[in-house]
Amino acid sequence: MTRNPHYQFVGIHNFQKLAGNEMFWESFKIGLVWAVSVTVLQMILGMILALLLNANLRFRGLTRVLALIPWAMPPVVVAIMWRMLYSPNAGPINAFLGFFGFPSGINWLGSFSLAFPAVIVVGVWVGMPQTTVTLLAGLQQIPVETMEAAQIDGAGAWSRFRYVTLPSLVPIIAAISSLNFIWNFNSFSLVYVLTEGGPGGRTMLPMLFTYIEAFKNRNIGYAAAMGLILVVIVTILLAIYLKLQLREGKEGK
Amino acid sequence: MRHLKVFAIAAASAFAMAACSAGASNEASSPSDPVELTFQSLSDQSGAIEVTKEIVDSWNKEHPNVQVKIVPAGWDGIYDKLITQFNAGAAPDIIHYEAASIVAFARDGYLADLTELLDSKFVSDVPKGVMGSVTVDDKIVAAPTELQSYVVFANKTLLDQAGVTIPTGDTMKWSELQEIAKATTKGDVFGLGWGLKSPTAAMMAMGPQFDGTFFEGTGREATIKVADGELSLPQIVHDMAFKDQTLQPLSLTQSGSEVLASFYAGQVAMTIQGSYQAANIAKDAPEGFEWVVLPPLEGSAGAKQAANPQTLSVNVDSKHAEEAAKFINYFVQAENLAKINEADALIPASAAAQDIMAKNLSDQPAWETILKSGKYMTDAPYLFADFYGQWKDTVATPAFQQYFAQEIERDQLQQQLTSGWNDISGQ
Repeated sequence: MTRNPHYQFVGIHNFQKLAGNEMFWESFKIGLVWAVSVTVLQMILGMILALLLNANLRFRGLTRVLALIPWAMPPVVVAIMWRMLYSPNAGPINAFLGFFGFPSGINWLGSFSLAFPAVIVVGVWVGMPQTTVTLLAGLQQIPVETMEAAQIDGAGAWSRFRYVTLPSLVPIIAAISSLNFIWNFNSFSLVYVLTEGGPGGRTMLPMLFTYIEAFKNRNIGYAAAMGLILVVIVTILLAIYLKLQLREGKEGK
Repeated sequence: MRHLKVFAIAAASAFAMAACSAGASNEASSPSDPVELTFQSLSDQSGAIEVTKEIVDSWNKEHPNVQVKIVPAGWDGIYDKLITQFNAGAAPDIIHYEAASIVAFARDGYLADLTELLDSKFVSDVPKGVMGSVTVDDKIVAAPTELQSYVVFANKTLLDQAGVTIPTGDTMKWSELQEIAKATTKGDVFGLGWGLKSPTAAMMAMGPQFDGTFFEGTGREATIKVADGELSLPQIVHDMAFKDQTLQPLSLTQSGSEVLASFYAGQVAMTIQGSYQAANIAKDAPEGFEWVVLPPLEGSAGAKQAANPQTLSVNVDSKHAEEAAKFINYFVQAENLAKINEADALIPASAAAQDIMAKNLSDQPAWETILKSGKYMTDAPYLFADFYGQWKDTVATPAFQQYFAQEIERDQLQQQLTSGWNDISGQ
């Protein structure tokens, strides 16, 4: 990044260097754990929430709006808010735990074992609305007749969910989970504000790592190589996943 | 067709001449067409913003031909911003930043050489070590303006209750700090709280007190050295936190201002902070909270602290580098420097400004001690090691964090710091 630089062609040098960069692969592993766990949790919790919101409960309109709140907030605001919630000596979470007699000095974002799970919780929270809304839309597409037919045939709530709802939702689940996976894998601002990759690199997602390489270390070419590798790997993973999903869908029919 | 072409050429040359004459009139400082300089200022405290504006206004009044315009920016993300600005050719004429980070831009060739342009009286009035921190390859690339040192703030009530006599000497040994911490640790109260969430800067700044210089050589060839001197301070922190249990471990994962909250609440009797926090404590501390500043800390090699002053530099691509340098000379005049440092609660780089500030603040004893710590400022090799920024973020900060969380031992810390540097610098 010098002034009036002379660029030179280095061929695949950056990729070779990257192959031997343990720190990058370490952060890649963290990124995978993060993306998979956040996506899976989002899916499970989003499904539960969508089923609840689909049921004929009172204040349904209000609760549907409330469920959208995390979506309406910019990620940086979310991160700042959660950092306050997690604050070890002034945070409401610890105060709440202390009120009920639990240990109240927990250092959520500063502890080596808790920081990553704590960040995952925020990741799940912030991504819930789009998952829920998409699933809710899917739920409302399931014809009432099918449900009623299953009920008359004697299917219980669980069986109806397992054999009617879930199969009808497969294409939607495949779509939203792959989108979520991409978003989560590429998420940056949330973790950057929450922990900056700390403590001790425990939450160093690959995007943070690439950012540091590009803007702090000023190795733009090297960072670009990282970005490219990430795109290729995510594409491969998604291709495999979608192929499996769609095959399952076909066999199901 | 031909006519048109001739006309076009004539028009173009007329424009060119007009441009030339405009340039010439600039040099001749005709009042009708003043030079405009942009000054990207990072001052973020309301007092400092006001003082900056005052200085610029009075300059503008005295120099109708050279008008300075303030472009406010924040410290957060300024490094990224400057990289983008420089690469896009959109950087301001006058750049406010800090020595530790501006050196990289100087090496990349973005900063004008100020060796001939800076007021020599000012240069000779700044301690050598501080001037050294802004000298790259024998060229002065910035004027140092404001400095911070790390000082110990103490809760006077808690110290009195523990029967500790408040030290008053010129300096205070680390062992003395450890003793006071032991005496004041009682029940839920820890003797010391130190916000070491981003530990590297503090370790680098205070390392020289134990001859911990970390680097040898400069530029791309700088090599790392992590020996007993470098590891002394991390070891003291580690011992106080986990052996003596006089340093609140929680604070090691917090930022300085988060620890201040514990300090006000009486959960820690002392806290090590940047000197600038004196202004915040004076403003934010609860009523009746009695606090003092303890003498500068002294290790086995003295009370030295690595200087990382705030700086003013000139963009090498500025069309009016000379005028920009003149403005910087105006800005660093003792009265101005004293004013801005007082607003920011920092230590002025020049002795003349320190004197004015000492006089103005003679009624506040805390300031006397803080200003005293200014004379122990020294330059530090880490400023000139090319890969320092990278090493700090990807190697040193995680390694120190792990050591302070008892995830790794001293040997592993030493090994990680060394091999991480060697990986990055390709040695």
